[in-house]
Amino acid sequence: MVARPALRRIAIPSLRTSTTHLESRISRSSFSTTLQSRNNQSSKPNHSVPEYAIPDPARPTHFGFETVTEAEKRERVAGVFTSVAESYDRMNDLMSFGWHRVWKDHFVSSLNPGFMPLAAPGSSPLAPQHILDIAGGTGDIAFRMLHTAHVLNGNPDVRVTISDINPAMLTVGKQRSGSLPASQQAALSFLEANAEDLTQTKPLGANQVGYSPANGVPDESVDLYTVAFGIRNFSNIPAALREAYRVLKPGGVFACLEFSKADKYPLFNSIYKQWSFSGIPLIGQLVAGDRDSYQYLVESIEKFPSQEDFRDMIVDAGFVVGGKGYEDLTGGVAAIHKGMKPRRK
Amino acid sequence: MRPSPITLRRAARQIFFSSSTLRAAAPAPIAGRSLSTTTGSDCTCGNGSGRPRQIQHSQKLQQQQKQQQRSSYHSYDHPSSPASFTPVEESILSAAYLHVPAHGFTSSALAAGARDAGYLDISPTILPEGAFTLIRYHLVKQREGLAARARELFGGEGHVGAYKPGGLSEREIKGRVEALMWERLMGNREVIGRWQEALAIMAQPSYVPPALKELALLSDEILFLAGDSSVDPSWYTKRASLSTIYAAAELFMTNDHSPEFMDTRAFLNRRLREVNEVGGVFRNLREWVGFTATAGVNVLRSKGVRI
Repeated sequence: MVARPALRRIAIPSLRTSTTHLESRISRSSFSTTLQSRNNQSSKPNHSVPEYAIPDPARPTHFGFETVTEAEKRERVAGVFTSVAESYDRMNDLMSFGWHRVWKDHFVSSLNPGFMPLAAPGSSPLAPQHILDIAGGTGDIAFRMLHTAHVLNGNPDVRVTISDINPAMLTVGKQRSGSLPASQQAALSFLEANAEDLTQTKPLGANQVGYSPANGVPDESVDLYTVAFGIRNFSNIPAALREAYRVLKPGGVFACLEFSKADKYPLFNSIYKQWSFSGIPLIGQLVAGDRDSYQYLVESIEKFPSQEDFRDMIVDAGFVVGGKGYEDLTGGVAAIHKGMKPRRK
Repeated sequence: MRPSPITLRRAARQIFFSSSTLRAAAPAPIAGRSLSTTTGSDCTCGNGSGRPRQIQHSQKLQQQQKQQQRSSYHSYDHPSSPASFTPVEESILSAAYLHVPAHGFTSSALAAGARDAGYLDISPTILPEGAFTLIRYHLVKQREGLAARARELFGGEGHVGAYKPGGLSEREIKGRVEALMWERLMGNREVIGRWQEALAIMAQPSYVPPALKELALLSDEILFLAGDSSVDPSWYTKRASLSTIYAAAELFMTNDHSPEFMDTRAFLNRRLREVNEVGGVFRNLREWVGFTATAGVNVLRSKGVRI
């Protein structure tokens, strides 16, 4: 596929060089519009929806180390995930030595969904908690959420909606959900939607308790918005963050688990980079028979902003963060970012 | 050769300029507190016009450095650290703090606080350290409240610290340290029933460093407010011993059921007295070692060794 020649051109210096260097090379070689549009966005004031946060199919963005338009990225990402859907979970285990389970467990337990103490006698019944798991395809996060809420916190009043842009991934999730207890299945719904525009949704399968296709996800209807290992594949991250802001209730939490930068530990980082650029595509080829898709996955990790930059994007979308705004996992290979939608003034 | 009037004028301007910048560069440093060196003390003025600019430049650099390094002790040379909690954190934590006597330093208290502040049960999960954030809130607020208490106790307007030009006598400082420590211990009175749980959380490996840092900041605050301005190695030993005593007294207090915590007060006084005694022993020991060493050297010299 297309990712490979681009990589061959720049793979070796990319291990060390800064992204700005890469960007300048890419923009010079292929798309002259990159620089122009960047100038536009910096001159635009920030208070309303900035120009860069409005999805534009023609705007250039990254697809791995390549520069493509947003529309093209959407298609290509769809292609990648359709082709890896079947082997996705097995591959995750192989690529991270099973460690992604630890990250996901920690992510969910740090959010502690369904934790609603002090249901004081006589007080009004608690509003049900609604969790929207974006890019939740195979259900890894959603099933953990349900387990924590229903079993550990004994709170069956928690609903989880799995949303994914890719029906192939959703189908895998739907199949896997068959092994859940009936009560948990009843609290689960599947939704095919683009995270940059949640007003257009398409429920998967019949007898859904979720949203009607006409209205999409309404404003201020979600307690917890999670996205795990998905946001780097979005064509327009600022737009997705603003959409998250729209659907969350005031006080609702945006939580994101994503690969990040391990720059703080150079030695560890070099081993990790070596592994991800040579080992992961190879395993992809051997196990899933699809090298290019996994090549894209590691390149997209490389192109994703650093912890601080992504935190600033979250703040820019209107969220407030606690402390420094993120938590590093395994030295920064992955990071959890959290933000809260502030109360209305 | 006679210097031309222009060069003279330039030299004069130089002297004036650099001395004024120098004055600005050294904002009344409490001796020894500031680890940064003062600028351009070797400045021999009047040669070359580039000099003041250099000084200004190095000053700017230094200010930047100062802003970068947050001081872990009281300092006039460092900007005061930014607010410990963001407004949203503050609103959740202050509401949750009221629930501590009933629910302890737990996520239940946090959830209750979030609800009181108009947020959701899920909202406190943005606090990076969970229940420990609530403990840190208690520690920080009590420490920050000490300055106001010190003003009430000892008088002095706004600026607390060394009150007298010549500093306070040793005895006065000790009295103030004891009074301030007691004030701080009384700050735990409301939550003392929950304080053992809090100590257990603070003893968890990931929370030990921030908890110890808070303890260090507390002992620094107490000594600063008491007017201690020592700059010798006792700067460290005083803070270390004060931290130990405070931690011990706090632990003692969690099991103290005497009226008005009389036993804790007695315990605190005993520990502080012991420190003085130990300090005396150390002084004597140092004197003895010094004397013996000098005597030894003299004996060797008397034997003809060239030392």
